[in-house]
Amino acid sequence: MQQDALQELVNIGVGQAAGTLNEMVQSHIALQIPHVRLLSVLEAEKQLQKQLDGEPMSAVQLGFNGSFSGVAQLVFPTASALALVAILTGEPLDGPDLDSLKISTLNEVGNIVINGVMGAIANTLEQYLEYDIPVYLEDTISHLLYNQVSADDAILLAETRFEIQQLQVTGNIILVFRVGSLDALLYALRIP
Amino acid sequence: MGLILLAEDASFSRTMLRRALEKEGHEVIEATNGKHCLEMLENHQPDCLFLDLLMPEMNGYEVLEALQHQGKHLPVVVVTADIQDTSRERCLNLGAIAVLNKPPKPQELKIILQHIQIINGGDC
Repeated sequence: MQQDALQELVNIGVGQAAGTLNEMVQSHIALQIPHVRLLSVLEAEKQLQKQLDGEPMSAVQLGFNGSFSGVAQLVFPTASALALVAILTGEPLDGPDLDSLKISTLNEVGNIVINGVMGAIANTLEQYLEYDIPVYLEDTISHLLYNQVSADDAILLAETRFEIQQLQVTGNIILVFRVGSLDALLYALRIP
Repeated sequence: MGLILLAEDASFSRTMLRRALEKEGHEVIEATNGKHCLEMLENHQPDCLFLDLLMPEMNGYEVLEALQHQGKHLPVVVVTADIQDTSRERCLNLGAIAVLNKPPKPQELKIILQHIQIINGGDC
């Protein structure tokens, strides 16, 4: 029941975030139903690797703290990240490297999308979250995951995928709630 | 036409908002974090401040607190990705006149700028 509730909250949040992204890129955003699972880090890594291959990814990472804590990531295949930046800045990309304006652009997209998701969860559960400053990273999904958790942790992985078909951009939103804060999250999600 | 101080650490959002404000006929000066924003206010008298929340060095809440402490009557519009109701309330309690979510819509900006013009008796 709590898993369903969290899935629905992520769904609402992603819908809200997609609305904002839609305004920014002026194209329809197709969403998949989010998956929410309690996993060991190893299981989460396998799952994400299966889905995202071993390719280098571009990720915007935003830590959150409050009655529950964790990290949210907006993860793109690098080609999608480059395409998105070109659309938003209106500047053609002259190579695979991103300069500071382009990194700032992706950071802000991540910031807006992740805030849409986490803000919807916090508002619905009447909880307050504080955010860290967003960080841009390029790495494999395994390294992005282990950057935040240790192998012994259990995590609640909430993951969804979106696609901007017209622009051939895909991305994943991955929320990792740290195990220490899971009780607080599950308590907030309790169904009367 | 008014002078607007825009405090935003992300160059993308700063550029987009600057363009939108200039399109409305305003002059824009920029600060890249909260500390820089307060320093700019020592040397400039803008008609209003557009303020991000999540910034390095000093965040937007700390800027609002500092302005309240100094007793400065400057219309402040918070522009943030944070959509939490509690964050909005906190900003309004700290004296912000409005909280806009990123990216702000042109119509929202137009309305808030008209509102500031009324508060200031003509400017902005």
